[in-house]
Amino acid sequence: MTFETFQFILASGLILGGLYALMAIGLSVVWTTLDVFNFAHGAFVALGAYIAWQVAQYGEGLWGFVFAAGVSVGLMFVLGFILHFCLIKPFEKRPNIVLLAVITTLAASVVIESLIQLVWGPREKQISPAVSGRIEVFGTGFVANDVVALAVALAALAALALFLRRTGTGRAMRAAAQNREAAEAMGFNVTVLYATALGIAAAAAALAGVFIGSLRFINPSFGADPLMKSLIVVIFGGVAKFTSPIYAAFILGVVEAFSIYFLGLYWSPAVLFGLMVVVLLVKPEGLFGHRRKTL
Amino acid sequence: MLQVTGLSGGYPPVSVFRDVDLTVGEDEAVGLFGPNGHGKSTLLSTVAGLLDPWRGEIRFDGRRLNAPGDMPARLSRHVNYDLFRPRRMRARHAVRAGLIYVMQGNRLFPEMTVDEVLGIAPKAAMGRAGVGEMYDLAHDLFPVLRRRRRSKIRYLSGGERQMVSIAVALLAVPRLLILDEPTLGLAPRLRLELAEAVGRIREAGTPLVLVDQNIEFLTGLVDRLHLFVNGTIAAEIDRTERPSHESIMTLMFGGAAR
Repeated sequence: MTFETFQFILASGLILGGLYALMAIGLSVVWTTLDVFNFAHGAFVALGAYIAWQVAQYGEGLWGFVFAAGVSVGLMFVLGFILHFCLIKPFEKRPNIVLLAVITTLAASVVIESLIQLVWGPREKQISPAVSGRIEVFGTGFVANDVVALAVALAALAALALFLRRTGTGRAMRAAAQNREAAEAMGFNVTVLYATALGIAAAAAALAGVFIGSLRFINPSFGADPLMKSLIVVIFGGVAKFTSPIYAAFILGVVEAFSIYFLGLYWSPAVLFGLMVVVLLVKPEGLFGHRRKTL
Repeated sequence: MLQVTGLSGGYPPVSVFRDVDLTVGEDEAVGLFGPNGHGKSTLLSTVAGLLDPWRGEIRFDGRRLNAPGDMPARLSRHVNYDLFRPRRMRARHAVRAGLIYVMQGNRLFPEMTVDEVLGIAPKAAMGRAGVGEMYDLAHDLFPVLRRRRRSKIRYLSGGERQMVSIAVALLAVPRLLILDEPTLGLAPRLRLELAEAVGRIREAGTPLVLVDQNIEFLTGLVDRLHLFVNGTIAAEIDRTERPSHESIMTLMFGGAAR
């Protein structure tokens, strides 16, 4: 293996990592805030990509892409916000809410996938990339769109971290996640904060979906793969801190890229799952996890 | 100011308190005294809107805070009533009116720093003026807030956490402050310090509802003192003559204790 191949694999691993981080953070925000696992996350990724594809039909080039991504992220935020009232809120007080939420979110993902198939049909589509051509970074040529995807993913993660740490609403969201009753007694509308958390998760999923759609082909059921990957990331890294799944996402992205090169596409999911099982055996809270989980 | 009439409630289907009447006037401090596990905290949680009242009325400044009428019975165990029955009272409406509740042994938000928690607390004031003075008062009462401003709540001692809880409530500019056993599980020295702080909050003109199991602590701070036993207010204790241990036992358990 030459140094150039190594660089190439590493770069594609980092780009994968960025996308996985963006997807996994949505899952982990919902998990830490609402205490449920959102199995519709993959469907959010797919729907986000399709909405962006549709909007991108009306505009070309960079600004068309930006507009499409913006519309998709905004719409998915609203959808996530609304879905909280349909999928999770009615079962809040049930003792078996975790199981109920698994079922309702799985149901939602099936419905969303079928709707995508109804509206856009089963044929594969691709969003035209934000930028074309190659650019040079550190003396190596990269596909420009990949670099943009990674940069935007990192910027979105940083923006989300700032939102949670610095703004009143973000802090209120963390408060509601850590002690619901105390947040209520302080006068916060916890239901709205929870719905916002699901909205943010859906928006992050949509952003990831837009970039996946511009890197690969999309079809109505392509959300299953991102869901599985973000699941692995969240379990592998744990959710003790905002950053835990992000580190895990980059590690897994790079591992996946190398295992694709050495073992082939067919075996890379097995490698990832194997790695996750090993981490679970040795450190059940995840690589960067503690017993507690917070935002 | 606060008028509670015929209030009943609990955790469905378990009824915890029944037919409670309690009034707190302007500039008055009312104490609730009673043994463990008799429903004091459940009553206060209900008054603060964290739990739905079953029956009765909660009025604050003459405005009714809970939904009129009785809570309808849950006829079937197999129906998810949360789906179509709205809450009968909401904590944020109580907070908006100025009814601020400090929970018993509040864990607060373990992973947030003291500064972050105090930073979001004024939201509960909902536009009432006076956050600035309350901020000064809180820091004056509890210098520890400034000393530990960057510590996560998780690393605070029980007493420090209690102080943050009270400071959070103060930043909400309470028109009536409900303190649920503020000295629970604290060392005697801290207990005194908190008693002094509560006294100064009282002097600052905030009406109080104060719950404790320590009658000496209460008699020094409140104007009226009620005995709360078996889920209801059993009697008013004359606080001018400090009741003897005997008489408290008689009030609580009837003649059987003798």
